[in-house]
Amino acid sequence: MLTIKLKIFAAITSLVILSGCSSSASVQLTSEFPQVLAEPKALSAAVVFEPSFATYIAEPNAKTVIDIGAAQVRLLRNAFAGLFSKLEFVASREEVTTDNAMVIIPSVREVQVSTPSDNYLNVFEVWIKYNLDLETTEGESIDSWFMPAYGKTPDAFMASKSAAIEEATIIALRDAGAKLMLDFYRIPAVNNWAAEEQKRARQEQDSIQQTKNAEVSP
Amino acid sequence: MKSSTRLIAVLVTAVLGGCSATTTIDEYRPTGDAIELNANERVVVLGRRDAGHYETDREFISCVGNKMRGADIEVLPEQEFIDAIYPWFEPRTAPKGLPRLKRLMQDASIKTQVDKRNVRYLVWLDGSTETLDSGGSISCAIGPGGGGCFGFAQWDKVSVYEAIVWDLDQLTEKGRLRVDSEGTSYLIGAVAPIPFLTPVKSDACSSMGNQLKNFFSVSQ
Repeated sequence: MLTIKLKIFAAITSLVILSGCSSSASVQLTSEFPQVLAEPKALSAAVVFEPSFATYIAEPNAKTVIDIGAAQVRLLRNAFAGLFSKLEFVASREEVTTDNAMVIIPSVREVQVSTPSDNYLNVFEVWIKYNLDLETTEGESIDSWFMPAYGKTPDAFMASKSAAIEEATIIALRDAGAKLMLDFYRIPAVNNWAAEEQKRARQEQDSIQQTKNAEVSP
Repeated sequence: MKSSTRLIAVLVTAVLGGCSATTTIDEYRPTGDAIELNANERVVVLGRRDAGHYETDREFISCVGNKMRGADIEVLPEQEFIDAIYPWFEPRTAPKGLPRLKRLMQDASIKTQVDKRNVRYLVWLDGSTETLDSGGSISCAIGPGGGGCFGFAQWDKVSVYEAIVWDLDQLTEKGRLRVDSEGTSYLIGAVAPIPFLTPVKSDACSSMGNQLKNFFSVSQ
């Protein structure tokens, strides 16, 4: 009787140890991201988070699954708030209601993961390759911007692979926010659109002012 | 009997002595005076994470921060500072030199956040702990009659960290510090595995923290 109990105990212990050594990782990101510290430009944008983007689950390899959909939506909501003073978030292109806005349609091209056994370094790495389709409200293309983001986290003794990949993915998402803040208005086509839009807004303002002045004067 | 006890004591002392790390500290300061830190001013210790092949780990950063806290120096947690001024201290955007820091601090919103948290000095830590060399072998086996480990293994570790202190008020560099720590750890398999670990990283942290404490003088 004692031998059977010992065997069961040994089997359970072996299973626990072997499951701890499993090289697969399933990650769901639940973390919040800080508000960006930036003064937005007096411009409007409509960001289209299509369902395929908002519920995106990356499978960079057969053993890794990363659910980044909700987290990337939270991050981009924060980041775009630092770029545009007037924002609208919609689920499809048809729902855009803001006039004279830049319509931004983000999508994920690819997610890549590299572990210490792949790169022979003591780091876990995650790359997220985004694409931002930028259009006017009339549907005219402004640009299609490729935006890669990168995150890495050190390997720690006895730490789980899932935890390391989760942390590297959070760092990659934060990097996407940083890249957006740093480079978005440096895209020549975006810079031109912003200049023209500000000029149009000024002219519109002047014309309203002139109309008001004409109404007041006899 | 007496001589064998003495031999064991000598052996244990020799083995344990071999488990201590050798640490070298290099320090550079423009002046010999300690950096004045008012009672309400704080220090933030940040890790450099822009290198391709390593990361200055958060555990080391918080270890150095804790050592400095022991000397009545108020240390702001790294993540709190980075989140407060997101995204300007991410690996992609963090200033690598004083000219970039000066440009960042010209931004009123960044300056306001730094001032709001009373952060006067920023300590950049850059480095890592690596295993250089390993040798020997140890094997473990388990069977119905019991189990055990037999053999001998050893490995060398080296920790190299550099600290740079920036004054966020005067926007100048206040000093640099470099800590090199190395040591060998052993694992002896005599039925049970017996580790003799050299705390290389912990030693580097203590040395860095204690030396940084001497950089500052807290006025009450």
